[in-house]
Amino acid sequence: MPKCMIDGKEVEFTAGENLVKVAKRAGVEIPVFCYHPGLSVVAQCRMCYVEVEKMPKLQTACSTMATEGMVVKTNSENVKKGRAGTMEFLLLNHPLDCPICDKAGECDLQDNSYGYGSAYMRGSEERRTYVDVNMGPVIQKNMNRCIHCTRCIRFGDEIAGIHEMVAIKRGNDIDITTIDGKTLQTEYAGNYSDICPTGSLTLKDFRFKKRAWMLKKTTTVCEGCSKGCNMEIQHEGDVIYRCVPLENLDVNRYWMCDEGRFNYQHTQDPTRIIEPKVKAEGGWKTISWEDGILGIKEEIDGQKPTFLVGSDLTQEELTHIKEYIALQHPGATIQHFGTPGLTSTQQDGALDQILRMKSKTSNLNGAEKLGIAPLMNDTIKADTVVVMSAGRAKLPKINAKRVIAVGVYLEGDASQFDMILPGLAFSEKDGTIVNHQGIEQKLKRAVLPRGKCKSLSEVLMLLTNKKARVGANP
Amino acid sequence: MSTPVASDTLFVQHFWKDANRNLSYYLESMNGYQAAKRVLTEMTPDQVIDEVKKANIRGRGGAGFPMGMKWSFIPKNSEKPKYLVCNADESEPGTCKDRQIMRYIPHVLIEGLVIGSYAIGCKHAYIYIRGEYANEAKLLNAAIEEAYEKGYLGKNIFGTAYSLDVTVHRGAGAYICGEETGLLNSLEGKRGEPRVKPPFPAISGAFSCPTAVNNVESLANVPHIIRMGGDAFAKLGKIDKSGGTRLLSLSGHVKKPGVYEAPAGSLTLRQIIYDLGGGILNDKKLKAVIPGGSSAPILTADEIDVVYDVEPLMKVGTMMGSAAIMVIHEDTDLVKLLLRITKFYAHESCGQCTPCREGCHWMESILHKIIHGEAKPTDLDLLVDVAQNIGGKTLCALGDAAAGPVISFVKKFRPEFEAYIKGQKRYA
Repeated sequence: MPKCMIDGKEVEFTAGENLVKVAKRAGVEIPVFCYHPGLSVVAQCRMCYVEVEKMPKLQTACSTMATEGMVVKTNSENVKKGRAGTMEFLLLNHPLDCPICDKAGECDLQDNSYGYGSAYMRGSEERRTYVDVNMGPVIQKNMNRCIHCTRCIRFGDEIAGIHEMVAIKRGNDIDITTIDGKTLQTEYAGNYSDICPTGSLTLKDFRFKKRAWMLKKTTTVCEGCSKGCNMEIQHEGDVIYRCVPLENLDVNRYWMCDEGRFNYQHTQDPTRIIEPKVKAEGGWKTISWEDGILGIKEEIDGQKPTFLVGSDLTQEELTHIKEYIALQHPGATIQHFGTPGLTSTQQDGALDQILRMKSKTSNLNGAEKLGIAPLMNDTIKADTVVVMSAGRAKLPKINAKRVIAVGVYLEGDASQFDMILPGLAFSEKDGTIVNHQGIEQKLKRAVLPRGKCKSLSEVLMLLTNKKARVGANP
Repeated sequence: MSTPVASDTLFVQHFWKDANRNLSYYLESMNGYQAAKRVLTEMTPDQVIDEVKKANIRGRGGAGFPMGMKWSFIPKNSEKPKYLVCNADESEPGTCKDRQIMRYIPHVLIEGLVIGSYAIGCKHAYIYIRGEYANEAKLLNAAIEEAYEKGYLGKNIFGTAYSLDVTVHRGAGAYICGEETGLLNSLEGKRGEPRVKPPFPAISGAFSCPTAVNNVESLANVPHIIRMGGDAFAKLGKIDKSGGTRLLSLSGHVKKPGVYEAPAGSLTLRQIIYDLGGGILNDKKLKAVIPGGSSAPILTADEIDVVYDVEPLMKVGTMMGSAAIMVIHEDTDLVKLLLRITKFYAHESCGQCTPCREGCHWMESILHKIIHGEAKPTDLDLLVDVAQNIGGKTLCALGDAAAGPVISFVKKFRPEFEAYIKGQKRYA
């Protein structure tokens, strides 16, 4: 493998790798704004200057490919002056509004300013200001904060496949905006906020909700579709504030769609059923877990109810259900459901050219691997039906005498049920899901279960016991 | 030093007569299209490139890159189409030589395009002309039509297998579209913003295909090179590494401004100003000279005994650029002039890279403060430091173009700036 020297350290590289990547492997961080590994290289921000032996001018590390025997200095006086110059230029027109900016704490401009800029301002000119356009429901624009890195333009053109962000005017007046000031059309708009190196494009959903540094981060997988995009749930206490994509070059690269990004909202919906409930005259009656478990046992013990399981459940949950049925209700039917009109992985496929899949549940592949048959129609007719799902699977029309539901449901979903035992959402449990490629990925618990929700395993154990003994919440 | 005799010049004797732009004049008085015929019927592309290499011709657009070398970078075995693009944007302030060629002898450019396109294997050549040259674009199109009619363009030129189309593309008026990659973006219908290099246009230029971008004057010299032979053309130049003649755009405070022609390296700047230009307007004292378009660092009156060519000028810290000489006499306020120049670059900055976008405007603001007596004494050093943070650090050469004048003006004429700052002088 060819080698080059970065700050005196010998590093191996593969042909075509730029100096930002190679330096990172050597443990040398090169500050960048416009460079993003998932986008084309434009070398516009002029932050990643390095000194390359035998080259008279400073070079931009993002656009300089490593070559055999190249000697690179990333910390020389010349480099420091160059970077300080760029920082000064960028801050010349950047408002000093970090205290009220959502990006503060995770802002590249802020970090690089501390790292490479000066604490003093030499300019005394009035700052450049813009009138902002409404970018639609996802993104809040603040053009005054923009440093014109054009990541958003390139994301639209190269990843989202839509030319909606553009630069208009030129020089000092340059404006990064949407074509004719329209709202954003892409289903991937949240990424604009992730890649923006300043607070110019922020999420409306997250606006003024939490300082970035107070958030705890849990690495998990999106349950929005069979893609299984890697992501981080960012939460404080037991409240989720947002989800952001994590890099996984085999699955989602650096991105995620808005549907997945905001999917966490249903777990915190005020109408989510978080206590055992039974249908009573004129509405729902809250009952204790004991009564709930005993009620169900009464209904189904010794019977052969039909089990409908959502393909949004984890491998562990599905396996447990199968074992439970084999033990308690041998011969009972079990069928999985999830996306109307889509019953197998063969019918699954890409919904667009980017990430989204047709299957709107995360574990269709896993359910199939466990040998569970699909529900072929959108309606089911049976005597007694037990529905178990995690909130993402779309309920079929159920035509039965008794319908018992275990899992995550909003009040709006519950009209078909006679009894509900509340279960855990994807953000409240650990587990394994298998994406459309067959890659097994782990869900991680980020927050404690809401209300009196219990895990499916616990519910199944309680149902298996001769006598229901219900402990406190986990 | 005598004024150059007519035999030493290739172009100027044909200027200033409207009738010269007709094909008949070009055929009769300039051996029109004979060079192209010889190239297409007798020479291989490599022979053409060799001849141009021998001619030692530097690009006439500003960077002065050897033209033969540029053509030889075009890959021979690439399956992609190749393009020859003529840069007729002529946007450097002070430059007006290409306009003369296009206005009076457009066919010499077209013949140059035919030869150049044949040399690099191009089937479709473009002339990117600046938006302000509306009339010249019209004249060029008329000449191209004439050439098509007579079979000098189009299918099977001179009965050979070689075919070439030429399209004139008008810009919308932007300095940055004279930068070759900015030009290519504009030609493709994109924003006129320079691209990251590498890849250079020779590998990935217009429409991501191998492309040679040549200035009007450079291409117009090619028929002469073929006609007189590369060696003879090289000998026209009176200095190493520069063959042929140079068209000089002389402007400012001289008695006879205009476009002149002289063998490369044959004259000093003083000779150009006093012998060709007839001396300073109203017989005033010379104060300074901007020797290569407005982006070239300024020279004082004492520095003009320098041979006017690429390397001697580089040695005295400035550049030849597009050979546009701006003469400045003693009554000129250089602070005002610098503000005007800086304002131009701030206005023409495309805005994609940080130092140029922010810095050029900042320099303009500081100069504005200086000239209105609002500056602090430290602002002059700040101005120079800002310029140094731009120079050599930008994506394209516009940053250098903006920084060079600022640094040189302040270095050489500092007291004039200080007079404003101290309040000894007021903006009028």
